[in-house]
Amino acid sequence: MTKHDAARRAFLVRAAVGAGAVAGAGLVPELDAQMEHKQAESPSAAHQHPSGAEHGAFFNHDDAVTMAAFTERLMPGAPDKPGASDTGVLNYIDLALAGAYSDLQDFYRRGLAQLDAYCRKTHNTSFQHLNAAQQDEVLAALDEGKATGFTWPTAQDFFNTVRTHTMEGMFADPLYGGNKDFAGWRLVGFPGAQAMFTPIDMQSKQAFTRAPMVGLQSVSSNPIRKG
Amino acid sequence: MATEKTDVVIVGIGAAGGILAAELGKAGMKVIGLERGPRLKTADFSPHDELRYFQRQELRPNAKRQPVTWRPNANVRANPMSILNYGNQAGGGTVHYGTLSWRFHEDDFRARSRTIERYGASAIPADSSIADWPVSYADLEPYYDRAEYELGVSGKAGNLQGRKIDGGNVFEAPRRREYPLPALLADQSGVLFEAGARKLGYHPFSSPRAILSEPYHDRPGCTYCGFCQSFGCHVGAKSSILVTKLPEADATGNFKLITGTMCYRVNTDNSGRATGVSYYGPDGSDNTIEAEIVILTPFIYDNTRLLLLSRTEKFPNGLANSSGQVGKHLMAHMMAKVFAAFDDRFVNVYMGPSAQKHTLDDFNGDNFDHSGLGFIRGSQVSIGPADLEAGPIGTAISLTPPPGTPRWGAAYRDFLAKYFARYGAIVAQTENLAYADQMIDLDPDLRDQYGLPAPRLTYDWRRPNEIARVEYLMTKMEGIGRAMGATHVWRAPLGPGAPGAHHEGGTRMGSDPKTSVVNRYGQTWDIPNLFVIGSSTFPSMSGFNPTLTIQAVAYMSADAIASRYKKNPGPLA
Repeated sequence: MTKHDAARRAFLVRAAVGAGAVAGAGLVPELDAQMEHKQAESPSAAHQHPSGAEHGAFFNHDDAVTMAAFTERLMPGAPDKPGASDTGVLNYIDLALAGAYSDLQDFYRRGLAQLDAYCRKTHNTSFQHLNAAQQDEVLAALDEGKATGFTWPTAQDFFNTVRTHTMEGMFADPLYGGNKDFAGWRLVGFPGAQAMFTPIDMQSKQAFTRAPMVGLQSVSSNPIRKG
Repeated sequence: MATEKTDVVIVGIGAAGGILAAELGKAGMKVIGLERGPRLKTADFSPHDELRYFQRQELRPNAKRQPVTWRPNANVRANPMSILNYGNQAGGGTVHYGTLSWRFHEDDFRARSRTIERYGASAIPADSSIADWPVSYADLEPYYDRAEYELGVSGKAGNLQGRKIDGGNVFEAPRRREYPLPALLADQSGVLFEAGARKLGYHPFSSPRAILSEPYHDRPGCTYCGFCQSFGCHVGAKSSILVTKLPEADATGNFKLITGTMCYRVNTDNSGRATGVSYYGPDGSDNTIEAEIVILTPFIYDNTRLLLLSRTEKFPNGLANSSGQVGKHLMAHMMAKVFAAFDDRFVNVYMGPSAQKHTLDDFNGDNFDHSGLGFIRGSQVSIGPADLEAGPIGTAISLTPPPGTPRWGAAYRDFLAKYFARYGAIVAQTENLAYADQMIDLDPDLRDQYGLPAPRLTYDWRRPNEIARVEYLMTKMEGIGRAMGATHVWRAPLGPGAPGAHHEGGTRMGSDPKTSVVNRYGQTWDIPNLFVIGSSTFPSMSGFNPTLTIQAVAYMSADAIASRYKKNPGPLA
């Protein structure tokens, strides 16, 4: 099976390059250096984070603060309108990057580093220290592909991925670390995985309220935090 | 390294392979089925989890381990697609599909002739390779009937032996009898669509689906939970191959299923006959099956890939490719969408079977006059959620807000919070024409987990005929949205040219060995004991979902093999 294994290895290399795009490959040594630097920082500062900035499985402190601010601007919270922070989006993404999405770790590291460089160039400071209007301005530049200095991931790819993962954190089952106390589902009025709807439910022109929300671990108000 | 002998080996046990396994087993033939994925059970599909099954695509092939690449044209590099829209388990796509179960129209089988008769040859785009089928609706009608009754399809007849029936699809071809099960209940999006479409003089109806509206064949009826597209059914009410034909195949005592395998070659001898297949086992072993008949029924990419990978000195361009047609004429449905949102009521589109719930057929096939429109062929128009599945993740990703509303920030949050349960998506599933340069071949750069070249798609739906049709349908759908009484009606942006749903073509069937790969029974012209059966053989695609037609063709082929080929092996056509 030697030939087979060699082919498999070749595939993995190509897949990494293919998924990541060309620019990423040349940046590996630089990334390694960054990782060492980041790992040397204290990982025990989690409890000092602002509310909702839960992390520890993947993000370092600075990146966690940036991600908390980024995702909160995408889905801001307001009274009776839970946002990214209220629902635990950061915790969801942190856990996902340590697990199911571990192949996106470099994507995030690199995306965050480019975001930081862009903010320093345009505003002389990091994303987390900008006010909300300035943060929105930066995110709009990413969304529209106007932010300069991005190679891989591109500004739009990074923005779109964070947006998708923010929506996953808002609306995936609480089992995955977001959607805290079903706050995301409550925001939009989704009753979860109901096993059935009756003909009367189907005929209603009103919001569904007949049964409580159903999650993977029944009706829980304490989503499991792994990590 | 194991070698086994059998009468028939079937590669891919999905919509077509499951039917062939059961029917050939019943005919007394020893059948081995090779399946890449696992064999799951109804108990595996509970509870429903949108992240796992819709967003992370657990019932579909892993796009990193089984990459498929796409490029819009031959001048640019192909990149891996992030989502692979087909099945990866015994039962194939029928395990997680939306279950739409259509009979094609009579003119769908002769789209080329019909167009020429009605509009003249110049109406067909010069670069289109649209072709008639070598089989007619009348030929397939008994097999459609059999598929509906054996599998369990719910619907209402609109044309019973020529008698048009209001409430069913009055544009359908004549059927011999009613559906075995009454139509599924309409949800509120269906009720609104029905009323709006009738106001405009159209003919809407509850879409026929392979979901039991009542108990049938010892299976329970639908619970209307809404988790269909992307999900396995938690009660077994979805008439997937997993709960219909596989138990039948097991009961014959002649069927053996080997899961976790990857077939990488069809073996042939110097006489030009197929001798069996080679495959990698779940333990990485390299194995051979010797068989009298080889039947390929995987998803379409793997038909082309296997035929090309199996090249020999005798068949230097790949098997069954003396016509040079293998891999050509790739087709896919494009989904154009218009959203309709209501300020004065809820719609709750997450209730009830999730995909293409209610349909109107007035703009499909050649059901309307195309004179002067600048395009031929049409589209099924239906209502449902933004992305065939109605959970909040899919909605947040696919329900694009109307012009003027951003897609992030406080205004977006308020938009999603307000309209998640107050909208429906009107969707046109367009019949894109065949073009010879839209094709499947082997990617020269990327290999899969087995070291095999990835299938590479070259495809771009944005042809003049297709663009004109989308514009026409967008306008019609906006009209329907307004007639439904929606407060807000807006178009979803069109995607890039990538192939959408229901990929078809690559091993086209025909009546001439010079211009097609297989005959009407899926028998390859070049190698009479090698069959390819599934939507890869479709010469044109219709605006309808392909599965019931795949299944009818599989029944017809199984009949021909059991009743004729078995006694007298050789060309069937």
